[in-house]
Amino acid sequence: MTQFIYGLLLYIFLMLPPVAALFESMMITHMHMQMPMLVISGFLMSGLLLRRSHLFLEKWNHNGIPGITLFMMIMIYWTIPRTMDEALTMQTMEIWKFISLPFLAGVPLRDSWKKLTKAWKNFIIFIFTVKYFGMGALYIWSEESLCNNYLVIDQLTLGWGFITTAICLVIYLVYAFSVNPSDYE
Amino acid sequence: MFKNRHNAISLLVVFLFGVVLLFIGTDGFTAFTEETARVNRLIQEKPVFPDVTLEDSKGRTYPISEFEGKFMFITFLYTACGTVCPQLEYNMAQVYDLLPQKYMGEEIVFLSISFDPERDDPETLERYRKAFKSDGETWRMARIVDKTELNTLLEKFGVIVIPDGQGNFTHNSAFYLVDKTGSLIEVMDFTNIEEAAEKVERILAGEQVSKR
Repeated sequence: MTQFIYGLLLYIFLMLPPVAALFESMMITHMHMQMPMLVISGFLMSGLLLRRSHLFLEKWNHNGIPGITLFMMIMIYWTIPRTMDEALTMQTMEIWKFISLPFLAGVPLRDSWKKLTKAWKNFIIFIFTVKYFGMGALYIWSEESLCNNYLVIDQLTLGWGFITTAICLVIYLVYAFSVNPSDYE
Repeated sequence: MFKNRHNAISLLVVFLFGVVLLFIGTDGFTAFTEETARVNRLIQEKPVFPDVTLEDSKGRTYPISEFEGKFMFITFLYTACGTVCPQLEYNMAQVYDLLPQKYMGEEIVFLSISFDPERDDPETLERYRKAFKSDGETWRMARIVDKTELNTLLEKFGVIVIPDGQGNFTHNSAFYLVDKTGSLIEVMDFTNIEEAAEKVERILAGEQVSKR
């Protein structure tokens, strides 16, 4: 219950117009802070929701793969340059962002992640690593401005943000494959 | 991998949902950036050039209706720009050179419009004009002094200009072609000079045939 309240508070906080405007004023905070925080708010709120639909999810999301696929689809959708632009210029897209990220990405992530096997988890992180390197390269080396509502320098910042995140993911993956935690217990 | 049927079904449903979502979000995988979507929309909507008053590099002031009955090949720029605008104008000059001289001034006029009227006064525009060897008649450089008029035009033609606070602007660039009635009919990639020139020539030649 406490988690639900924290999640809800975070969600409401993100919705406040000045907060949303601040996050959206820069490309990198829009994509790498506001969007993940929306996912986290959904993640926190989902505890309560998931308990009620436990049986349904046990049946339809038994191994966690459908849920994680939904999560990935939504995440990929929101990294398309156009969707970010439209969230700024179209009210409906902005609302859709505030619904889809917490409830179609945050909620399924929570239900699915714990069900996934270790191999699947690493595979998902691997996919994100590739995607982040790819998006980073796209934003850094793109000749043209990909988003009409942002400056080119914002685009470069975001590109390097992607690359940095991807490097962190690589470090994690190397760690996961090379270190056996039980050796240290 | 899928121990039970339900998982496979829900995975399929989720996957289809995602594909449909991406399909709708990108207009059927054709427009991944807002710029592409914008150009597609403009070509579909064919907005009419609004009523604006221009002041050109020679200091002459006239309404846009001066060019009625002629095609207009338009770019939007600001002269203090050090990055894309010189490239845009340089490419525009090449299109100008590629088109048959007989059309110039008769069937089509080239027009470079500044969206920075404060700094781009006639003298500045005149310097810029000389740098790109435009003749100032069949290819004119002009500013729109009235802010409201300028903004209406930019909005109608989907030109997005964001000041960066240091005197520069981020803006989208393209070649715009307006027909004789004042409707926008083409938005072309400014980096693809030959293709743009061919397209304009084809349209002008088609016009000639239909007139006879």
